[in-house]
Formats: sequence, structure tokens, C-alpha cells
Amino acid sequence: MEAKLVEASQLFDRFKAAFTRNDLHNCDSLLSQLKVLLTTFPSLPPLYRESPTAVHELTIARDIFEHAVVLSVKAEDQDAFERDFFQLKPYYTDTRGLIPPSPQEYPILGLNLLRLLVQNRIAEFHTELELLSPTALENPCIKHAVELEQSFMEGAYNRVLSARQAVPHETYIHFMDLLAKTVRDEIAGCSEKAYDYLSIEDAKQMLMFSSDQELAQYVAEEHPEWEIRNGCVFFQKAKESAPCKEIPSLQLINQTLGYARELERIV
Amino acid sequence: MTQDVEMKEPPAPSNSVSSAASPVLQHLKEIATLIETGAFTKEVRRVLRAVRHTIALRRKLKAPVLSSFLHSVLAPGSEVFVRLTSYLPKDDEHDMEVDTASSGTQAPGKYSLPELEIYCYLLVLIFLIDQKRYNEAKSCSSAAITRVKQLNRRTIDVLAARLYFYYSYSYELTDSLGEIRGTLLALHRTATMRHDELGQETLLNLLLRNYLHYNLYDQAEKLRSKAPRFEAHSNQQFCRYLYYLGRIRTIQLEYTDAKESLLQAARKAPVAARGFRIQCNKWAAIVRLLLGEIPERTVFMQNGMKKALRPYFELTNAVRIGDLELFRSVADKYSATFSKDRTHNLIVRLRHNVIRTGLRNISISYSRISLADVASKLRLDSVADAESIVAKAIRDGAIDATIDHAKGWVLSKETGDIYSTNEPQAAFNSRIAFCLNMHNEAVRALRFPPNSHKEKESAEKRRERQQQEQELAKHIAEEDDDEF
Repeated sequence: MEAKLVEASQLFDRFKAAFTRNDLHNCDSLLSQLKVLLTTFPSLPPLYRESPTAVHELTIARDIFEHAVVLSVKAEDQDAFERDFFQLKPYYTDTRGLIPPSPQEYPILGLNLLRLLVQNRIAEFHTELELLSPTALENPCIKHAVELEQSFMEGAYNRVLSARQAVPHETYIHFMDLLAKTVRDEIAGCSEKAYDYLSIEDAKQMLMFSSDQELAQYVAEEHPEWEIRNGCVFFQKAKESAPCKEIPSLQLINQTLGYARELERIV
Repeated sequence: MTQDVEMKEPPAPSNSVSSAASPVLQHLKEIATLIETGAFTKEVRRVLRAVRHTIALRRKLKAPVLSSFLHSVLAPGSEVFVRLTSYLPKDDEHDMEVDTASSGTQAPGKYSLPELEIYCYLLVLIFLIDQKRYNEAKSCSSAAITRVKQLNRRTIDVLAARLYFYYSYSYELTDSLGEIRGTLLALHRTATMRHDELGQETLLNLLLRNYLHYNLYDQAEKLRSKAPRFEAHSNQQFCRYLYYLGRIRTIQLEYTDAKESLLQAARKAPVAARGFRIQCNKWAAIVRLLLGEIPERTVFMQNGMKKALRPYFELTNAVRIGDLELFRSVADKYSATFSKDRTHNLIVRLRHNVIRTGLRNISISYSRISLADVASKLRLDSVADAESIVAKAIRDGAIDATIDHAKGWVLSKETGDIYSTNEPQAAFNSRIAFCLNMHNEAVRALRFPPNSHKEKESAEKRRERQQQEQELAKHIAEEDDDEF
């Protein structure tokens, strides 16, 4: 067992070196080797067998998965993020009594919340949120994600965008960029309904474009029904539901017959 | 999280007993015979009745009565007997013991039927919980569960279901629910395999409760959606199920379904289960607020709930007025209550609804208002915030208006005459559908005990009645299929 542990930590050191060099390809292959090696440790979840080296093993395994999560952010691979995060999660929930909490715990949990927000998986976002203790909610990393969700739901989009400047951790930037794209689509959707028209200047500022070309391209790609003329963007309004002129007779007859039948049964 | 406690009668204060002792003992013995006959004739119904009678006796259970009962039904010296008597206090029972030991010799069931054995476990367990000796209750219940696992008899299922409940309850009282999750899951599997539906029902609820105790909504939902479902056997268990289901759905933002489950749970719960109904009402109130509805004042003024629902009443008020400042102060004032009820995160979600209501009020009262005024009325930080919030509200259909960005104002549209649309007709239809559906459900829920009419009605009449019933059932089933 000892030998394997030494092997794992040596491999992990090499991984960390590659990690700091930002050598993503090398990291990937080392990580797969590490993960295979981890399967040979019986003290890890789900077995939790007790052994003299259990604490050491658990700590190193947790460390590896934490790095794996951050690596997946760097590689911008959301599926890998999800997989690695789920592998990491038992270390946070089930090993509380076995090893001291990791300093990386809250940043990573916050990162996961952010990911769920970006992917618009709000139900899961709230399910994860329920698992956090009140102290965790006070943590800046978690708080950041929670406030983002709130602003997002309210529609205070500029608060979402300005939060990018105040990220609590460098790894958050990637997701914040993704979020900005989601926000742009949201703003476009809202503007369409809320305004009759906008001047090009205002539209540019609102949708965060730096040039007219970018705006024109975006409109052409995403919203071909918008019209740009006289220095303004005109939104094509969806047809309002007109007051009903016609009586939906067939439907009414069906309903009334249904009532009659049911009443017959009661009386 | 206390509704299970309050579904039971509160334990009686222990005072001197001797006068009440003998009738209680008599009762217990009657119950024991009931169980015996039930076991021999394999009639689950009798055992069920025995359990019901026991609950009525609960507050009268005293140590001497119990120990003499154990003497009379269990073989002294058997393993069960020794274990169970060790939980009962030894003092002031000697006279009783002597006196029953003599009568015990001719008592039936000396060889101790497994049903009676389990029943004794159950009695002692209830007694221990009522005496607040939780740690002993824990060990007693664990021993009982080990015993139940070795048995496979249909007549035991009913008793076992009660036993599971107290097993989990004793662990909850000692705050160690996490330990028994594995056992409960194993028991649930066994119950499913044996088609013990009452046991499945009880265990599923206990598992859900177990998960929700640790806020594991994800696991709870996964189990719930995959566990086999069937028509409920026990109303209490069904109420609990609905309540847990409502909570899971609330967390997962399925508010419409959540509201339905929670309101149904509150309606179906027995009147005596005050704590449970309070809990349901709290959650239902929040869910309705999240849906943008305002619960009626009468919800908060129900008998005996006024005080407990006070924080939620004030919260509703704040949302109704749409005042963010008031909302914040209410949330702060009762933050301890809200975190105890575990509704804190939901309250945070409500902020958004407060803004919406405020915005709706503004849009109704002004035909044109500047964005700066909207921001100051809603106490938002900036005009830009206000603009995007208004824009989102328009898109979500909360208000009907347009924004003029250049001039910086919001222009509300004339509200059309709702009676010129099909809207009233649709509302009317949905209400009628609800009433008719309720009637049908009620008809379907009627249950008749088998054979109870046998003597009273003639064969001809019975045939007629059965035919009618069948026709009715067929009609209902048919019309459920075609679109209403």
C-alpha cells in the first residue's frame, strides 16, 4: 500500500508541475493515470475501509480531484467538469469526520453553482444550494454565485455583468464569460418585447457590442426579424392577442354536453 | 420538522396508576387475543384493529402494567422477555409481578407467537419514547428490527410498519438519522419484494424524511421517482408523502405541482395533526407567493395556527404591498424562524416577486412614469437596473407596457376588456372541472367493508347494487379517457 501511495504522490507532483506550466495535454494523460491508480486504494469512497494511511490517501485523492475540476475549467470542458465534480463531491460530504476540510472547498462549490447557472439548470442550482450550511452561504465565493442568480432572475443584468470585475477566484472568469453570452441573449429577448425601437447607439451599449458591424452581424444571425433603418433598430412586435370576435361554438357544445353528462351522474 | 410528533397524541404525565392499571391490562390482554386470532385466521384486518386500539391506550401505559403484560404473554426466560424487561424500571412493580405471575400460568400464548413478540417490542418502544428514554428506545428498536428481518408473515407486516416508524423516530430524536439509512433502504427492498404495500409506503416516507432531514433533495427525488407507486393504504402515510413531495418540488421550482401537493396534504391531514398542518400551510403559503398568488387572510387565521403562521402572514403582507424595505425587515425580524423552518432560501427567492408586485401596482396606477421614479418607488439602486427589470417583467408578461429608452419612461398599455376574450369561459370551465373531478374522486374513494351487507340485503338486491356500482365505475373510467 505504502508503495502505491508514494507512486501516486510522485505522479501527482509531476501532474502539478505540468499544471502550473499550463501543459494541458500532459495534464490530461497524467490525470487518467492518477485516476486509475486511485481505484486501487480501498479507503476511498465508496468503501471507506479503515487503514493507517487512510487520512493521507483521502487527502491526496481529494487534492487530485480538486485539481481535475480546475483543469476542466482551464480546458473549457463542461462535461469533464461535471464528471470530476461528482467524483469530488463525496469527499466534501462524507469525509467530514475523517479529514480536515479543504481550503478549496467553497471556491469549487461556488464554481459548480456558477456552472449550473450558465447551463440554466436552475432547479439543480437550488438543490445544491440547500445542501450548504449558513456559514457556507456567507463565504464570498458562494455568495457571489447566489447573488448572480438573484440578479439574473430579477432581470438586473448590468449587475450580473459588473460582477465579472469582482470575481472571487480566477477560475470563475471563464464561466462569467459564458454567462455574459447568456445575458446578451436574455437582454435581446427582453428588448424585443419591451421596446418599439432603439437607436443603434443604445442597442450597441445594451447588447455590449463595440462596433456597428458586430451588432449588425448579431441581428442577422440571431434575430433576422429585426430591422435596422434610419439609425434605429426596429423590433417586430409579435401579434397581440386580439379580442375574440368569434364564438368557439364546437368547443362550447362539447363542454356543455360534458357538464350535462356529469350532472346526470350526480343526480 | 415536528409534524410526526404531533400526529400522535402527546405523552401523558406520569402519575400514580394503580387504580387505572387493571383495566388497561385487561385491554392489553384483549388486544393480545385479537392479534392471536388474527394470526391464526391470517386476517390482517384484526391486527390492524389491534394497533388502532393500542394507540388509544398509549397515554395510559405504565411500567408495572407493561411488565405484567409481558409476563402474561411472553415465556419468562426467553430471550425477548429478558431483553424487554430490562428496559422497564425494576422498582415498585414487585406486587404486580407476583400477582400476575400466578395468573400468568394459565394465560394463553405462553409459547409466544411471533406476532405477539413484535407487538411487545412495539409496546415497550412506545413506552420508552413517551418516557423520553431515547437511547434505550434506540437500542430496543434496533433489536426489534433485527427480529423483524428474520420473520416473513403477512400478519406481521402491519405491526412491522408501525415498528419502522418508531424505529426511525427514536433515531431522529437522538439526531442520528443518517445511521439507519442503509437499514431502511434494505427494509424497503424486502417490503417491495414481499408486496408489503403498507410497509413500502411507510418506509418510503421514512426514507424521504431521512433524506430531507439532511437536505438531500436530489437523492430524495431520485428515490421517489423510482420507487413503485400504488394506491395509498393509509391516509396518514399518504399525507406525509404529499408533504414531502411538495417540498421536493418547491426546491426544484415546480411551484404549480408543489402547491397542489401541499394543499392536498393540508386538507387530507386529520384535524388532530395540528403541527403537520401548520407545516403544510407554511410551505403552501410560500409556494403560492412564489407563484405570484396572494394567499387569503383566512389561511393564516385558522384556529390554533395564528401564532405559528404569524411570520408568514407578515411576509405575505410585504409581498402584497410590494414594498422591498418592509420585506427586508420582515425577513430579518423572523430570520431565526425561517432558518428553523428551512425556508430561508425560499424567502430569498421571494425578493423577485416583491419587485414584480410593486411593478404591477405602479403599472396599474400610472399610464406613464419615468424610469427614475420607478427606481425610487421600488427602492432599486440605479435607473439602469430599473430599466432591465421592467423589460424582463414585460417579457414575462407580468405587466403590459412599453419602454421609451430615449425619453426614459415606461408607457403602460390600456388594459383591454377581459370579458371580450375567452378568458372567463376558460376560468369557468376549469372550476367546474375541478368540482366534478372532486365528486368523481369521492365516489371512487368510497370503500365498503367486505361482507358487511351480507345479512341485511337479499341476493337480488345485492346483485342490483353491484351492477350499479360496476356501471358507475365503468362510466367514470371511460370518461376519464376522453378529453374533458
